[in-house]
Amino acid sequence: MMFLRLLFESFRRQKRRKSVALLAIALGMSIATAMIAVGTDIGDKINQELRTLGANLVLTPVEDTLDVNIGGVNLKPVSEGAFIPEQDLAKIKGIFWEHSIQGFAPFLSATESVKTHHGETNKGIVDAQKTGTVDAQLIGTYFAQPVHYGKQETITGVRSVNTWWRVDGDWPQDYAAWPTGKPPDALVGSQLAQQAAISIGDLVDVGGYKLRVSGILNTGSAEDQAIVAPLHIVQKILGQPNTVRSVNVRALTKPEDAFARKDPSKMTPAMRDRWYCSPYANSIAYQIHEALPNVRVEQVRQVEQNQGKVFSRVSGLMLLLTLAALLAAALAVSAAMAATILERRQEVGLMKSLGASNAGVAGLFLTEAAFLALAGGLLGFVAGSFLAHRIGQSIFGSSIAVHPVVLAVVIFAAFAVTFLGSAGAVRKAMQFDPAVVLRGDA
Amino acid sequence: MNSRQLLLRLLLKAVWVRKDRSLTALISVAVVATIATAALTIYSDLEGKLSHEFRGFGANVIVTKQQSSPLTPDDLSRIDAIAGVKRLVVPVAYAVAASRGGAKVVIGGADLEKLVQMNSSWSITGWSATGKATQAIVGSRAAEILPEGSSINISVGGRTKQFAASPVFHSGSDEDSRIYMNMADFTQLSGIQPSTALVRVEGRPLEIQNAITQLSAALPDAEAKPVRQITQAQTSVVGKTRSLVLASSAVVVVLIMLCMVATFTSSVLERRKDFAVMKALGASNRTVNSLFAAEAALLALSGSIVGYILVCGIAFGIGKVNFEAAILPQPVLLLPVLLGSVVLALLASTAPLRLLQQIQPAGILRGE
Repeated sequence: MMFLRLLFESFRRQKRRKSVALLAIALGMSIATAMIAVGTDIGDKINQELRTLGANLVLTPVEDTLDVNIGGVNLKPVSEGAFIPEQDLAKIKGIFWEHSIQGFAPFLSATESVKTHHGETNKGIVDAQKTGTVDAQLIGTYFAQPVHYGKQETITGVRSVNTWWRVDGDWPQDYAAWPTGKPPDALVGSQLAQQAAISIGDLVDVGGYKLRVSGILNTGSAEDQAIVAPLHIVQKILGQPNTVRSVNVRALTKPEDAFARKDPSKMTPAMRDRWYCSPYANSIAYQIHEALPNVRVEQVRQVEQNQGKVFSRVSGLMLLLTLAALLAAALAVSAAMAATILERRQEVGLMKSLGASNAGVAGLFLTEAAFLALAGGLLGFVAGSFLAHRIGQSIFGSSIAVHPVVLAVVIFAAFAVTFLGSAGAVRKAMQFDPAVVLRGDA
Repeated sequence: MNSRQLLLRLLLKAVWVRKDRSLTALISVAVVATIATAALTIYSDLEGKLSHEFRGFGANVIVTKQQSSPLTPDDLSRIDAIAGVKRLVVPVAYAVAASRGGAKVVIGGADLEKLVQMNSSWSITGWSATGKATQAIVGSRAAEILPEGSSINISVGGRTKQFAASPVFHSGSDEDSRIYMNMADFTQLSGIQPSTALVRVEGRPLEIQNAITQLSAALPDAEAKPVRQITQAQTSVVGKTRSLVLASSAVVVVLIMLCMVATFTSSVLERRKDFAVMKALGASNRTVNSLFAAEAALLALSGSIVGYILVCGIAFGIGKVNFEAAILPQPVLLLPVLLGSVVLALLASTAPLRLLQQIQPAGILRGE
């Protein structure tokens, strides 16, 4: 009873001191919360940033002949080689690691002669002086095509896979069939547009079909000299229904290690299960090959081999910084607790001279510390979640969620640093002789 | 003894008489200074280090000329000069050849050693960089389809060449359908001179952009283009990591302030009597304040020097572990760190100073 009263009075009388200590703990713990949250979420965030690298897996038909491709210009006749049936592509989303597949984009391309009719609009006004013919690549792909597998629907295409593509004007829609009424939309590469003086809204004539230019595409690579149109439109123009030549797949993968490179056919069943259930590029490639047996799946080594390296560097750095911030938070909270207890030496002296045991005094101070730690930890967690949210918004443009487990960690950390910080000071306060302290000589 | 000497003596005595207390305070300041300096050192070198990691992606700039006017030695020396010290420049040429079976195959000519160095992500079997001059390296798909026995025969415009079907490289791109051969053999076979140069400019995103601008100006008849996919990823990853490290460093600095305030407060509280005696003997508030501030500054200064020395070791270790190359502590940082910690210490000592002013000598000395 007495103990409770002492405790209660201590909080009631020292409101200012207690709130300073509480503030210190709350501040330290909010920073710890924010840093843990940022540190654990940094992986996903950096992976998002690395999406600009594009696909890390590429699918080609097993039976295909060699690519004849110089400077992005495909010299292989469209009739030659093998194809992947378009309707099989949805199976990519049916593999074990379906959630790792962030998107895919099929491609079908051939060199076609393109007739430009400058200034011709839908109304059919043609300036005969300005017509010309150039040879250009015609590339068919998905832009943002809904793909159904089972009951789920995902939207995929170059807009989510090749995020470095920029379009002035509008992205074309993915037509299911040749539209009636007006010509379908397509994109023209920026260099081709400049050379042939094509602008948005113009009509171009590709292989006898009219396409309307809805936007100018800038990619910084070979597509700048090409016409990029919806896949079904290109299949119709090239007379190759339901076919694609290659598929680029963007998958979230775990950086490759020695285990990832092992040959699954030589593993024990247990090892093979572990390999199969790890999101390595190799195991995802293996699973896609299982779903599409006539397809060769290769990792784009330039992307796959390097993104893991960059990724581990950044996460390693954040881990170090998180540890540093946690250490600094622990120090600050300990120092603050020590200061508040040192102030109360006289109280300790009084209690001891009235017959309190060392254990009793320590018990009182540590119980006080526990209350402060609990309150400070909770406050800190709330403030830290907000801080993490703000950091995520301002740096990555997307929120960082704080895992509930962090609450337990933070409360535990608050108790640990508060007790550690108090322990030294309590011990020191108890070492003083009550008589000396009360005389004011200490 | 004039007042300045007295002040100095008080200062030194205060440290010396309470050696254990001073040491505790010094350690806590040194630890926080270490953390802050480590964060700063990493931050100052981060862009360079992280950009360095992007070298594995290969060429980030491609210079192309019309095939009718190939790259001259003069052009190449200009590219070399602009691309910087850690550059890698590989002139390449391409042609379409036919295998004996009639299949078309793209062949490329390049300095093979440099080409393999540029594309460090390729997995290549049977390659030894130091061994005898390799005639050709064969893409994995070309190596599946073309070889007749252990050799490949190809022809361009009636001229034929035979070479070994190894080493074989895997890239995962359409390069796997190609064969790269020595520039000399390539030119002999096809009569084509290189008109494209793969350039790897190693540096910060801004330096790469500058190099591209300079290349376009120096080679007006050529086109210099960034490989946007790579440069853009580099820009965003490096930029975001930098902001993140900066934000974390700011957080650490806030905590350090908190830590210093607490340390100084307990120091004032413990020594109330000393200050009371000084005041009783006629010291003005100002003198006591400046004495305390000087103590704080001295503590911060020595703590940060110790911290800086510690951080040299730590940053070196971090650099070795995390970037496989040491992050060298920069002497340039010493001054800002010292100044910064003194300023922080003075700021942190303002709170306890108020406490100091409230000291009433009579009360304290009487033991109230």
